[in-house]
Amino acid sequence: MALLKYESQVRPPLVVGDKDYHQVTEDICRPVEARPSTLWWIGFIISVLMLLFGVVSVTREVWFGTGQWNLNKTVGWGWDITNFVWWVGIGHAGTLISAILLLFRQGWRTGVNRAAEAMTIFAVMCAGQFPIFHMGRVWNAFFTLPYPNTRGPLWVNFNSPLLWDVFAISTYFTVSLLFWYAGLLPDLATLRDRAKEKWRKMFYGITAFGWTGSTKHWQRHEALSLVLAGLATPLVLSVHTIVSFDFATSVIPGWHTTIFPPYFVAGAIFSGFAMVQTLLLVTRKVLNLQQYITIEHIEVMNKVIVLTGSIVGIAYLTELFMAWYSGVKYEWFAFEQNRVNLSSPYGWSYYIMMGCNVLSPQIFWFRKMRRNLYVTFFMSILVNIGMWFERFVIIVTSLYRDYLPSSWSTYYSPTIWEVGFYIGTFGLFFTCYFLFAKFFPVIAAAEIKHILKKSGDNYKEQMTVVEEESVDQFVHDTAH
Amino acid sequence: MTIREQYVIPKKYNMLSMVLMAIGLLSIIILFITHGSKSGAENEVVRARFWAALLQNSVYFLLVTNAAMFFICATTLMWGGWQVSFRRVTEAISACVPVIGIITFVILMAIVFGGDHVIYHWTDAEHVQHDPILLGKSGFLNKTFFTVWTLITLIGWSWLGYKIRSMSRAIDDTKLTVEEGRKYMWDNTVWSGVYVVLFGLTVMSCTPWFWLMSIDAHWYSTMYSWYTFASTFVAGIALITLFVVFLKNNNYLELTNREHLHSLGIMLFAFSIFWTYLWFDQFMLIWYANIPEETIYFKSRLQGPYRGIFFLMLIINFLAPILLLMTRSAKRNYGTMTMLCVLILFGHWLDFFQMVMPGPLTDPNTKLTHVPFMLADFGIALGFVGLIMFVTVRSLAKWPLIAKNNPFLKESIIHHT
Repeated sequence: MALLKYESQVRPPLVVGDKDYHQVTEDICRPVEARPSTLWWIGFIISVLMLLFGVVSVTREVWFGTGQWNLNKTVGWGWDITNFVWWVGIGHAGTLISAILLLFRQGWRTGVNRAAEAMTIFAVMCAGQFPIFHMGRVWNAFFTLPYPNTRGPLWVNFNSPLLWDVFAISTYFTVSLLFWYAGLLPDLATLRDRAKEKWRKMFYGITAFGWTGSTKHWQRHEALSLVLAGLATPLVLSVHTIVSFDFATSVIPGWHTTIFPPYFVAGAIFSGFAMVQTLLLVTRKVLNLQQYITIEHIEVMNKVIVLTGSIVGIAYLTELFMAWYSGVKYEWFAFEQNRVNLSSPYGWSYYIMMGCNVLSPQIFWFRKMRRNLYVTFFMSILVNIGMWFERFVIIVTSLYRDYLPSSWSTYYSPTIWEVGFYIGTFGLFFTCYFLFAKFFPVIAAAEIKHILKKSGDNYKEQMTVVEEESVDQFVHDTAH
Repeated sequence: MTIREQYVIPKKYNMLSMVLMAIGLLSIIILFITHGSKSGAENEVVRARFWAALLQNSVYFLLVTNAAMFFICATTLMWGGWQVSFRRVTEAISACVPVIGIITFVILMAIVFGGDHVIYHWTDAEHVQHDPILLGKSGFLNKTFFTVWTLITLIGWSWLGYKIRSMSRAIDDTKLTVEEGRKYMWDNTVWSGVYVVLFGLTVMSCTPWFWLMSIDAHWYSTMYSWYTFASTFVAGIALITLFVVFLKNNNYLELTNREHLHSLGIMLFAFSIFWTYLWFDQFMLIWYANIPEETIYFKSRLQGPYRGIFFLMLIINFLAPILLLMTRSAKRNYGTMTMLCVLILFGHWLDFFQMVMPGPLTDPNTKLTHVPFMLADFGIALGFVGLIMFVTVRSLAKWPLIAKNNPFLKESIIHHT
């Protein structure tokens, strides 16, 4: 009785196109084994050029100091920290998909988890650059590490959320990397076993860590996945919580608000999913993987986007409301004069944030829109712009007018080298992603096989008999 | 296996729920005589004691039973299948919402319009005129807005809950084809979406501000409503679990087994930690920034007479579930789960107790608060427990215990954690 593999036919299939195990392997390994296309080369070269521009920008900043940036007396955090928070946020979807959705037994995660996890790792790598180079004297970056040292009694400030960031993000990066890599092992072994060239056999042989696919291996693999998922789940929450503490522990109007931690986490998932959409819509098309990353996957992720976008919306309105309700005039000034007031210097950025993050995702209440690839792609870009502006609004509009009007700064806008640094991280991100898409399977083949006999369209068709059975009969069958 | 579809209310159970309700009623009467009926300006705190007890219990149990409908809608929106085998239990609990809703409404209106300003100081028009902070808030904190929002909240929850329950019952006699199943899920998804939007605008936004946060009308915290949500949602899961276990013990719910209990245990565990997370965020940020307008809230709770209750509820709501529910076997054990569910329901009741009480019981002259003798509060709480027991089983007995034609029932039967 194949009852353990039963899944309601009401659920749309997660793998379409009449696949069997072999076909899955073929489809997913093909892009890795084939020569890279011209399109890949073009994309890769552009990414590397962007990366180089970033390297030049950063080199100038290290050589000449942070004076290369337009940070000023009150706006001590500008594009750099905005970009840092933005990239960390993007890094959240991967772990959410791999860890929390694993614990929630959401089958659809199998189609997208590998790419999303890779995205997480690259995004966190990009994010990490900003606070490090923001230090100015970057060669002293190791001062953030707490260890008995030769600098006398000089220890890190354990009271500072900035230090907690160092711990949270490095832990997050480590666990995400382990999780992603552990998931890759069976697929790398498949690639090794299929390899014909010597270098390929060697490369995948080394990276597969001697995986043989024995029962013992699988058993350990499953146990490890569960443990890492359990570890990663609190990490998803903790990382952006601590990033929000960077702001919320202060007494700066617009920063000190108790809702910041969960709303930062919701926003991070929101932007992370938008980035997953952007990447996967292109990836599935270029690598011809529409049968694995189906329109159902896209739709589900759009649902997550409308949900998290609305949660973020409630949070925006809550903090706006509380700024008024609290009766604290400084808080209300930060909101009324520096944000809501459209004619104030940065008023426009608040409306971009509201428009992109709260209003525009609402179109995903409509099924037609959720399943429209063009709309989805456009929206995913819009959300990422909106989420960048969220951080910009929080940082710059709260800082540029501090308690002392005489120090209210001139209009802050970035220099070319600040922008260049940001472009450089895009270069790093896409360079890594292109390499990943070339050398590693972008879909977890082993996990697709895990759900194939339950959620594959051809297998689902065979379940009609079970579907039509009465409940009593079904219970009887399962009991025997 | 034969499935017992019809629930029959045991006589003993009926008796017990009525006794509990009688205890509740008696407690209210006694508390009214000893506290509520005392007139005069010098007895303000004494009267506040009576109304605060009613407010705390009614709002707490209303939000807890309403969490059952949120549970249904959230799982529907996620197309969950595992919970279908005990779906009728969650539906039955949510049927308490209109009943407790009316009680809560009466209590709230009595407090707001009763002319006594012992709970909500912002209802005192004369006082507000001399209080610049409250005057600034009067655009929000006023009787009209309070009443309108309370009505929207209660009618919205009750009506949408009714709608979603009837959709589930409507297919009890018709076996659905796959196409019809999709249509059914679609309709349910749409209505669950509507409910969740309302839920977001009420529980996760204005409603706790009105009902609870405005007790300490000067104080504010953006986290407050989300915190209230987390508190009542985890207590709601505990309540669902208790009814599931109760029915299993009486040889009903044949299709629900340890696998489902395990999943409920996971939810209980996860949302206990989620509650702690929100608790910590709110507390830590206020502590760290150390702004007097904000820290005042924790003064009486952390350093004042509520210290004991404060830490007790933290132990119950955080330490107990994280330590006792960590293992797989604990989540699959009916005894452990039952004990923890009772504990968690009590723990979050205590949480509400320390949210509501310190403000109204503050002496206007000395500015000191005190913890009242809690026997009457326990009595009132038992009354509400009796009421929930009474209403829930009536709904259970009225409809088949199994949502037989739900498209995901078979998935629920073979659910494996």
